[in-house]
Amino acid sequence: MLGVGLFGPLGPAPGGTRHRAAEVGDVRARAAGDPQTGGPRDGRASFSPPGPAGAPAAEARSGRPAGIHPASGHPELAEERQAWIVLATVDGVGERTLAGLVAAHGSARHALWLAARGRLGRALGGVADGRRGIIPAATIAGIERAAREPGARLSALAARGVWTLTLLDPDYPRRLLTLLSPPPVLFGQGDARAMETPRSVAVVGTRRPSPGGRWEAARTAAGLAARGVTVVSGLAVGIDGAAHAAALDAGGMTIAAIGSGHARPGPAAHRGLAERIRASGAVIGELPPDAHASRGTYPRRNRLIVALADAVVVVEAPARSGALITAHLALEQGVPLCVARGQEGAERSAGCRALLDEASAWPFTDVTSLCDSMGWRAVAADGSQEGGRPGRADPGLSPEESTAPGPPTATPDGHEITPLPPLGAAERMIARRLAGGPATMDELLAVTGAAPGELAAALTLLQLRGLARTLGPLYLPAGSLLLAVP
Amino acid sequence: MLATLVTAVVEGLQGALVRVEVDVAPGLPVCQIVGLPDAALSEARERVRGAIRNSGFAYPAQRITVNLAPAGRRKHGAAYDVAIAVGILVASGQVAASGGDWALLGELSLSGEVHPVPGVLPMVHTLARAGARRVGVPAANVAEAALVEGIEVEPLRGLDDAARLVAGPRGRRAARASRAAPVAVSGVIAAGATGSAPLVEAGPPVDLADVRGQAAARWGLEIAMAGGHSLLLVGPPGAGKTLLAGTIPGLLPALDDREALEVTVIASVAGLLGPGDGLRRGRPFRAPHHTASYAALVGGGPRLAPGEVSLAHAGVLFLDELAEFDRDVLEALRQPLEEGSVVVARAQGTLRFPAQVQLVAAMNPCRCGYFGDPDRACTCAPGDPERYVRRVSGPLLDRLDLRIEMPRVRPSELLLGPDPESSAAVAARIAEARARSLARNGGRLNARLGGRETVELGRLGDPARELLAAVAIRRSLTARGVHRILRVARTIADLAGRDPVDTGDVLAAADLRDPAAAARPGLAA
Ligand SMILES: Nc1ncnc2c1ncn2[C@@H]1O[C@H](COP(=O)(O)OP(=O)(O)OP(=O)(O)O)[C@@H](O)[C@H]1O
Ligand SMILES: [Mg+2]
Repeated sequence: MLGVGLFGPLGPAPGGTRHRAAEVGDVRARAAGDPQTGGPRDGRASFSPPGPAGAPAAEARSGRPAGIHPASGHPELAEERQAWIVLATVDGVGERTLAGLVAAHGSARHALWLAARGRLGRALGGVADGRRGIIPAATIAGIERAAREPGARLSALAARGVWTLTLLDPDYPRRLLTLLSPPPVLFGQGDARAMETPRSVAVVGTRRPSPGGRWEAARTAAGLAARGVTVVSGLAVGIDGAAHAAALDAGGMTIAAIGSGHARPGPAAHRGLAERIRASGAVIGELPPDAHASRGTYPRRNRLIVALADAVVVVEAPARSGALITAHLALEQGVPLCVARGQEGAERSAGCRALLDEASAWPFTDVTSLCDSMGWRAVAADGSQEGGRPGRADPGLSPEESTAPGPPTATPDGHEITPLPPLGAAERMIARRLAGGPATMDELLAVTGAAPGELAAALTLLQLRGLARTLGPLYLPAGSLLLAVP
Repeated sequence: MLATLVTAVVEGLQGALVRVEVDVAPGLPVCQIVGLPDAALSEARERVRGAIRNSGFAYPAQRITVNLAPAGRRKHGAAYDVAIAVGILVASGQVAASGGDWALLGELSLSGEVHPVPGVLPMVHTLARAGARRVGVPAANVAEAALVEGIEVEPLRGLDDAARLVAGPRGRRAARASRAAPVAVSGVIAAGATGSAPLVEAGPPVDLADVRGQAAARWGLEIAMAGGHSLLLVGPPGAGKTLLAGTIPGLLPALDDREALEVTVIASVAGLLGPGDGLRRGRPFRAPHHTASYAALVGGGPRLAPGEVSLAHAGVLFLDELAEFDRDVLEALRQPLEEGSVVVARAQGTLRFPAQVQLVAAMNPCRCGYFGDPDRACTCAPGDPERYVRRVSGPLLDRLDLRIEMPRVRPSELLLGPDPESSAAVAARIAEARARSLARNGGRLNARLGGRETVELGRLGDPARELLAAVAIRRSLTARGVHRILRVARTIADLAGRDPVDTGDVLAAADLRDPAAAARPGLAA
């Protein structure tokens, strides 16, 4: 890839590098009601999936596009779909077990029918590559429990506001179909259409970033959001959180792919963030709501992040960081990989430098060149084409924002209160410096030559206008300052 | 024969008069002391017996009865030793009480030396008010005793000195009295024996000229010292927090007369006045170690001694490594900080020690110390930095006015930067600003203004008032938060000699962070 130049290979790779999921695709075809290969032979009456009153309601809430209700008008397909979901809620049933069950028993419905009677064998069906397997006894027990109360499983999902998309559904996210093994059942909250936006970029990195890394992630996400690009990440603390938050702040779309169930999406510190993402984007994962994250779930989750993105940006990653797994998955799947080099010698970017030096990753400089390389013309968040480069030379400092008084604020009892004073020359100078990256007050004092009191006043004004925030001794650019070309 | 003498004891910060009556009569040679708790009684008896023998007098082989009146008063310390011993000498006819009425203070050693005692200043003050004209005090306490007007003070080095005072020029027997070879007592041991040992004795203050870089922190420190605002310094190891705090004694103006007397009395009662120490004029700067106990910090304990928070009265209490302090101990500081005094409960009611302190604290931002450092990686687990700050008592953080973040100084600043301003120049500005606020606020620093007074005395221009309202709404400030900014803005204006407070002062004050918000730093999201 390295030799091809900046403009060629960064676009979605044409065939070859991404794989169509052959075997699961087969399962899908069979399960879709072909009586010869996979249709239910008997027991349909016994596994009579409840008409879960809650499920459609949840889907209506979820903001899924009209027509997403799968298999309406195909009762068998609808039942099979529900059987998939019921199986997927069982601890230990992943994509391989589900495919094996369908292969062994013809359909998930039949497997459940057997399980409800304690007659489900432990052997998995042969799949395309001839792999065979044995289901652990504990998982069998779990399936049997689920089979006896399938309705409860479905309404539990609905009660949590979790929607599902299965491989049986026509509107299963197109991007995930490029995976070698797409999750047969996807659990999500928020707007499923977030996964269908035409442009999306993953921003990932360490859970312990430097303030500079945090800023880089926020700046990148805000820039992407301003160009109407969806920001994908993993809801972890650190770079992930900074990227999600900045995308939301910029009014953009963001998707969090989680490695746990929806009952505990990400770290406790990010509960509020997850809520914000659900409100305007989507939180998705392949584990049932009550599942805990474990060693293996994060690497698997990372493949979803890569699949949902047109490009992956790694901001800060030490050696042996989880973000490196995502990076290598991107290389494997042929998704363009852009890596910020970070400070020379900084331990926190050692993994990034290794990617740049040893793998075919692109050095990441800024969002504008990334978008240029992807061949994306600037599109405003509302979808309209915008002329020229999206990065303003002096954003946040445009005439209307800086000289005009800020919008009047009303007190809760309705009194209008003073608008903020306009930004003066001193504030603009500081803003310009901040747009270049985080700085301590001492550094700003040295650059501006201002007295501490004047500088502090200016910094307060920038913070009140949402153009700066603090982290320890540092002042970080925020809001439209993130989009500024320093 | 019966002898009556006057001495005193300390109760809290007050002296209390004690009358010593000694009766020596034929009978079995026992010494009975009435009006002392048992433990103190037998110790006092042994000291007095040894001192009399080793001073060339005879310990009477008769029945000795000593009454310390009033009996109900708790008598801490051992300042009554000399009076008891002299009483025995008079009552046994070895010394004639022909020298007039002397009040006597001092603890005896077995060798007959008179050791310094804590609280001489308040005791002499009480004696003078009760009409005593002459007092003998341990030689090491003469300087503080001399601060009291209207009473003649004589130094006592040994029991023989006391006997000579009481006998007057005509007392021949007393004149011949002598002492056994003096026992060498080092000053440190003496202080430790008599007062609560100073936990960290401040050296000479650091000069601000030796603190390089840290312009923002120096600015915050100047504001804090000018307005009396309490201050939290946060920064990684080696940022210079302890160094910067060490400049504080050199930045504060001297105590005024009233404060000086209060501070000296407290030091006297705590046994911290050295030989020759008169009135204390420097503002106290106390830096107790983070292992300090509740009693050491707040006061009380068996001796009812003032704690660090009272020893820092009218000055600065510096809690370095704040997060390492015991949470309960810090919680106990809350009430003294709010009320400006400490109440120590005891059997016969309560004692009150003043504790008007300016609190200064320092801590790392997290366990490893590097959270938020621009260059160095923090090795704490995600979420740990927040937990680290939350370990510090929330109510205590609420009592702090300003939080200053100190980054590590870069080597270039350390070696190449411009030469920093000296303490003298900064102290001069601080003194001016303090004088302005004291004059305007009726003798109080800005930090001591209550909520309403802050608004009334703050002299806030209309634009500044409106701007503060705008800030308050945008930041959802509580009343406490608004007043905090207002008080600090007032101090910033005082430093600049500005009246009324203008919008720039309010904005600058709003940039100085709220320590209470440190418990939930706006991190990841
Ligand atoms: N700004 C500075 N100017 C000059 N010397 C400094 C400065 N900062 C630190 N030093 C030097 O480093 C030493 C350590 O600083 P200090 O003890 O004040 O750090 P600290 O912030 O209190 O660290 P810790 O968190 O470990 O207690 C000082 O004694 C001083 O010699
Ligand atoms: Mg220190």
